[in-house]
Amino acid sequence: MTNNLLIHAYVDGELDPAHALELEGAIAVDAALAAERDRVQALRDLIRDRLAHERSPARLLGRIKSSLRVRQERSRPSWGMMAAAAVLAAIVASGSTWLTLRPQPPNTTAEMVVASHLRALMAPQPIDVSSSDRHTVKPWFNGRVPQAPRVVDLTNVGFPLVGGRIDVIDRIPVPTLVYRHRQHLISLVAIPAAVANMPQRQTIAGYNVIEWSDNGVRYWAVSDLSAGDLDSFAKAFREASPDR
Amino acid sequence: MLPHLDDCYRLARWLTGERADAEDVVQEACVDAFRGIAGFAGGNARAWVLTIVRHAAYRWLRKNRPAALVSVADLDALADVQPGQTPETALIAKADAARLERAIAALPVPFRETLVLRDVNGLDYRDIAGVTGVPIGTVMSRLARARSRVIAALGVDEP
Repeated sequence: MTNNLLIHAYVDGELDPAHALELEGAIAVDAALAAERDRVQALRDLIRDRLAHERSPARLLGRIKSSLRVRQERSRPSWGMMAAAAVLAAIVASGSTWLTLRPQPPNTTAEMVVASHLRALMAPQPIDVSSSDRHTVKPWFNGRVPQAPRVVDLTNVGFPLVGGRIDVIDRIPVPTLVYRHRQHLISLVAIPAAVANMPQRQTIAGYNVIEWSDNGVRYWAVSDLSAGDLDSFAKAFREASPDR
Repeated sequence: MLPHLDDCYRLARWLTGERADAEDVVQEACVDAFRGIAGFAGGNARAWVLTIVRHAAYRWLRKNRPAALVSVADLDALADVQPGQTPETALIAKADAARLERAIAALPVPFRETLVLRDVNGLDYRDIAGVTGVPIGTVMSRLARARSRVIAALGVDEP
């Protein structure tokens, strides 16, 4: 009986080598045991061939997506939920799964940018490199991210540089510059992107976000500054030349 | 798309016995998973989502098929297959799908889920033990009893 039990573990490759050898010895001298092994093997193969390839109906995915969306609308997600969604995406899978499950498809990057900004504000330092000198900040990014961001000095127009840090957006490390306006910090995330889009403004969790494209880079500025002041910052950044 | 969705659906389909019901169970399980994601402690993600599907399926069974849930004591009392009822290997290999499905559907739930997690979902014994919440030794004996019963059923002449 013991061998009849072990035969399943043997067929499933779950026996350690010593027991497997021992069982093979027993099978060699016991025709009934050998027949049992063949039957178990045959059943295993049969189930795998006939039943293990059944696909879920296509409409199921649609149903799941809409039920998650309904939940989403009922309660705006907390940041915990956002983080949870990110973990879910990471574990249930690939980029396309993230697309499937993320709560509000068009806003994900903006929401992650806001999340990074919030996290930075909670940390002892909102920056990894602290310097108002762009000649210090820009080289710091070299070797840390694939493409160092454009760093400009905006002190004259009221937005002194504070420093920079690396954020992880959509699982990719990206450079983030931090500027200051009076007591307000501005995080400016620069993500290389092939597609140029029109500038867009939105408010997430009370933070103003403005995004725009320039020279193959998508910029996201987030701050608790008023929308007008953040617009001025974006305008100043776009117009500034790095050599000024 | 969701790489584990098909696995979830297969498990739910075999636990509920109905494909339409399986969809409801998987949908519910996905909402549970989304809600409980913070509790995911790492490890095998597939086993984790299958555990959630199993819970959802058991909820469904309790509500809709209470008779299907047998106690462990009943399970232990089940007579095992007698020697002599074992068909030839060739007969098993050419059994048709409908007959195989009937044989699996006739298994008590604890046997059926062990067999499905192993041979349909392809989980190893350790993960099956985790998903079903029993020791590996129990997984082994349930799997052996489940397979013996299916093999015997395939050998019985059907009218």
